Amino acid sequence: MGIYEILFWFLTVMAIGCALGVILSRNPVNSVLFLIATFFAISGHYLLLNAQFLAIVNVIVYAGAIMVLFLFVIMLMNLNADVEPQKSRLVQLAGMIAGGVLFLVVLAALRTATLSSLDKASTDIGLIKNLGRVLFTQYVLPFEISSVLFLSAMIGAIVIGKKE
Amino acid sequence: MKAIIAAAILGIMLMFAAIMMREKKSVVTLAIILLALLLGVNIWDLTETAATAPQAYFNNMLRIDRYSLWFNTLMTGCTFLYLLLVGKDIAKVGNHVAEYFALIFFILCGLYILSTYSNMLMLFLGIEILSIPQYILSGSDKKNLKSSEASLKYFLMGAFSTGILLMGITLLYGATGSFNVASFSFLQADTLNPLALSGILFLVIALSFKVSAAPFHMWTPDVYDGAPTPFTAYMATIGKAAAFLAFLRLFQASFGSLGSRWMFILAIITAATLLVGNLTAVFQQSVKRMLAYSSIAQAGFMLFAVISINAAAWQGIIIYSVAYSVATIGIFAVLLKLKDYTYDGFNGLAKKEPLLAFVTTIFLMSLAGIPLTGGFMAKYYVLYAAVQQGQLLWLVIFGLLMAAIGVYYYFRVIIAMYFKQGNPELNSSVTIIDKVLLVITCIIVILIGVVPQLFLINI
Repeated sequence: MGIYEILFWFLTVMAIGCALGVILSRNPVNSVLFLIATFFAISGHYLLLNAQFLAIVNVIVYAGAIMVLFLFVIMLMNLNADVEPQKSRLVQLAGMIAGGVLFLVVLAALRTATLSSLDKASTDIGLIKNLGRVLFTQYVLPFEISSVLFLSAMIGAIVIGKKE
Repeated sequence: MKAIIAAAILGIMLMFAAIMMREKKSVVTLAIILLALLLGVNIWDLTETAATAPQAYFNNMLRIDRYSLWFNTLMTGCTFLYLLLVGKDIAKVGNHVAEYFALIFFILCGLYILSTYSNMLMLFLGIEILSIPQYILSGSDKKNLKSSEASLKYFLMGAFSTGILLMGITLLYGATGSFNVASFSFLQADTLNPLALSGILFLVIALSFKVSAAPFHMWTPDVYDGAPTPFTAYMATIGKAAAFLAFLRLFQASFGSLGSRWMFILAIITAATLLVGNLTAVFQQSVKRMLAYSSIAQAGFMLFAVISINAAAWQGIIIYSVAYSVATIGIFAVLLKLKDYTYDGFNGLAKKEPLLAFVTTIFLMSLAGIPLTGGFMAKYYVLYAAVQQGQLLWLVIFGLLMAAIGVYYYFRVIIAMYFKQGNPELNSSVTIIDKVLLVITCIIVILIGVVPQLFLINI
């Protein structure tokens, strides 16, 4: 087992373990911390795939900005106490059965799926230079159009946030 | 293509111009002028595009043909009518009038993308550009707790359904290695990858949510009831029509060859939507909430177009979108004049405002699907498409039965207006301009019912 495999298995176990920690821990602050660890593990996977830019952006945007914001909100609103109203047993059971059935169906379907085998040769598609070129040639329209989306989100922040 | 750029730029221009404007009224006038400009750009687009094979733009991101341009033009026309009818009422919702109008321009931008997309990325962006302004508009009446509740509920549930949409797109990408909608048609039933099937299932769920089909309709009554009434009128009509065209494009153009795999699921969703929408609407006390449930019921009829994979369905969705939008905008314009939104609020309207009562009757008859109104032709076209498809006769009969139930709750309003005593309180007096506009709306509704070919002329 080379260093690559060892890193891969370490990151995989970390990602899945931390993701389970997000949904299993009772304290919201712990959930957020687990989520940050999950993001770091996924960033590690990106690095293994030779996508440095994606890895850095994932850390900066998700782990850095969004999750810290989450953490602040949870701490400011003092949500770490176990105050959330508990759902009734019946609802819990119904949710469990429905989710479980969906899981079973998707699992059964995907079990027989065949994927075309991965190309093992290393590509440079994840490097900033190549990413930028694709973004500004092939995907230039979605790239530009997303500005309308962000603009309307900003308007929303002002319309809803500003004092009347 | 020009219309997408124009919608974004005119929206931004409107916001900047409004900095200089003190009067809310002048902002409304400016918005109407700019929308007329946008309508002009749409017509320009339409005249420049020849009726040949669809043109692909930007590495196959957009696929523009006359059908989608004509749909855009009609929907922009409906928006123009909407602004003329309820523009004044939008100005009364809050302080950020220019922003509300700008958001409506952005919704139109999303609509233009959804009617021409040819790539899953564009579908995602279009759905989001359509949805985010709607979340904001539904929460724009900040002093009203119900409006805030509607906005938050819509936002959370909408974000969740967007997650499901992205999951579906991801699975399809895994199966085909492409975001291009046209390349999905390579998916053949015999060599079908389970990844693609799960992806299609997720897309059914996400898009059903966006068009408020049962069992994903839970947000609709609360959001449509809680949102400020002028914006409910817009969300329930043009916003929904855009989502439906996106649904139709994806499931007919891309997954059409796999029809046997997903048709039964969608048929059950259609039946459930018709049943839930119509039966629950019967028990409502508020007309606004009844219209929310009726919009679910109408979505059920529009789903007929999605499941019948043939050319008639494309005509059906265009007629249905226009007929339903115009009649609903009209009825909301009348509703905005009244103080009391319950059925009792309509008591005796025929005595006090005979013209208002008359146009309301026409709009309601159109929604119920009475012959000679637009609603009848719309229902005829979509049900005809389903009959032609051949396998869904049981669903068509069920749909007709549900349309009969629909007549009951629409006619309750007419009975209240004409046969009950009362003195309805009006918000503002009905001016001559209001009357002329309502009569024009009424004429359009009847025109669709008498000569529907007029609205299919440019395809």
